[in-house]
Amino acid sequence: MIKVAVAGLGRQGMLHLMNCFHVDDVQVVAAADMSKKARNKAKSLGVKNVYEEYEKMLKSHSDLDAVILAMPNFLHLSSIQLALEAGLNVFTEKPLANTASECQQIVNLTRKSGRKLMVGHNCRFYDLSEKMKQQLNYGSIGDVEVVTAEEVINGPFAHPYVPTPVSEWWFDPKKAGGGVLLDIGYHMIDLFRFFAGEARVLHAYLGHRLNLPIEDTAIILLQSISSNAKGIINVGWYERTIFPRFDFRIILHGNAGYLSSEDLVPRNIYTHAVRVGMKNILKRVVGRKITPLSYTYFYESYYKELKHFFDCVRTGSEPSVSAEDGLRTIETIEEAYQKAEKAV
Amino acid sequence: MADSIAKAIDLIGFDWGKEANTVIIKPNLNYYWEANTGCTTDPQVVGALVDCLRSKYGKDLTIKVAEADASAMKTKHVFPMLGYNKLAKDKGIELFNLSDDARKREKVSINGHEIEFEVPQSLGNADLFINVPKLKTMRVTRITCAMKNIFGCIAAPRKFVYHRVLNEAIVGINKILHPDLTIVDGLVGLGRFPVKLDLIMGGTDVFSVDWIAAQILSYNPRSVKFLRIAMHEKLGNPNGIVTYGESLSQFRQKFPKEGFISQKLLWGLQFKLLRLYKRVSGDVIPPFLEEE
Repeated sequence: MIKVAVAGLGRQGMLHLMNCFHVDDVQVVAAADMSKKARNKAKSLGVKNVYEEYEKMLKSHSDLDAVILAMPNFLHLSSIQLALEAGLNVFTEKPLANTASECQQIVNLTRKSGRKLMVGHNCRFYDLSEKMKQQLNYGSIGDVEVVTAEEVINGPFAHPYVPTPVSEWWFDPKKAGGGVLLDIGYHMIDLFRFFAGEARVLHAYLGHRLNLPIEDTAIILLQSISSNAKGIINVGWYERTIFPRFDFRIILHGNAGYLSSEDLVPRNIYTHAVRVGMKNILKRVVGRKITPLSYTYFYESYYKELKHFFDCVRTGSEPSVSAEDGLRTIETIEEAYQKAEKAV
Repeated sequence: MADSIAKAIDLIGFDWGKEANTVIIKPNLNYYWEANTGCTTDPQVVGALVDCLRSKYGKDLTIKVAEADASAMKTKHVFPMLGYNKLAKDKGIELFNLSDDARKREKVSINGHEIEFEVPQSLGNADLFINVPKLKTMRVTRITCAMKNIFGCIAAPRKFVYHRVLNEAIVGINKILHPDLTIVDGLVGLGRFPVKLDLIMGGTDVFSVDWIAAQILSYNPRSVKFLRIAMHEKLGNPNGIVTYGESLSQFRQKFPKEGFISQKLLWGLQFKLLRLYKRVSGDVIPPFLEEE
């Protein structure tokens, strides 16, 4: 049984917490968050030990095997360091940290600890990403010449059903570490790396439509280091998008064909949810294990990445998204910030 | 734009004779979305109104644009994000957070509900209080325009505490606060999706403005609960409302009506089904889908 704690019970942390209950041989021992409301919610879900302070939680549970961290960006380095020094395996939300130098420290700490560290690059775990990767490896589109990856959403200003307060740290460039490029661009750059290898930045544009101290628009041109592939990354926080609409797509343009995510996502999320939801109910009725969040399509990736992390902890294998992946992605982002600054 | 606003004000016969040194303008800035999404008041409309006011009252007129913090929105962020800081700089006006104002507790009884409000005092002290709402639909109240924008004046940020009696609360706050003038930003209206209406509408009575707004948004005004309550509370009377200027039908035809079935029944039903599914299957619901 893997004993795990969850720190940071915002939307993302709470989702990870709920997903943990569906992974075999995983027991959530404790959870921590500054918010009393979040702690009460964790208690109502069956977490017996809840803490206001993360450090206190770690000190109180010497029997932990792993910790899941979903804290604000500026706390990533310190929270990861504490966990690794306590001898825990770590799953952390992206970005690995706000700067390449912080990421490098985390890489060093991870190596020294001998523990597993996985970063939540959940877009790699989308069903469509896995299918596109398979097709690419199979050779069905030949050589990739251009990767287009774009996601334009609300970012921190998301509004699922009722207006949601935006955490103050998002408005502080030092704490947030960056804007949409670090938030969403991080995923798109990682997807480019997933399909086309390591990247260098050819050109970067950052926009400030919303007059924030951090960018709300980023258009980045990438060049693969290992192949001829170029990347066009287009991300934004400026779009008022109401669920279930999701302005995301990735297209691999090859010399023998193309692959588009638009051909792989369910055409109608509602009929998909009903179909897959019914399957899960049937599984439940006959006593089989359900596939959590599969009815949401995109959100299933959060369960899949967590399951992969726990499999790695259990078997001792390396996570498919390592601290080095986090570092390389942040290095590319820093390069983009520098290029954009020069362009101005 | 300033001409359109001046024309609307002239058509309704607004009395400019009142002496004014201080004017408070209350736009609708309920969240961090730009005016062309149909959610918030366009700073261009407020800017044009400022020009119009200065031409009437002179350059020395003190003009404040006021908004209160809300459950999920802070004015210190929304003003710069939606272009109001720039507007303030360009036009020499002040931006004011009503949540920072001196407050007075006031109680009203509406429809059998005792409702207490924290009312910002500056609104009553201004020589002229101008309401500049947006024209849009809303799931709970069907329409959001003049009267709902006054609800946004409540100083306490946690306005969701009123949501169980929202219709009554809208009427209640309008019994306390009475803008001298309402100028509706209907440049972009919001129904099923945003639509360019290029409409500026003016009125001196919030009830009458909303009665007409409901018709533009393709609703029978009598189906809007807070308007019915307002009538019952003698806050307004649809008899004798006169409209001037363009015909309403051209805007109504253009407006993407939010159907009752899609707006209320299907919306609520999907959450009920989701919760039922969770209970039966034991599956996870992403936290943001549980927050209705």
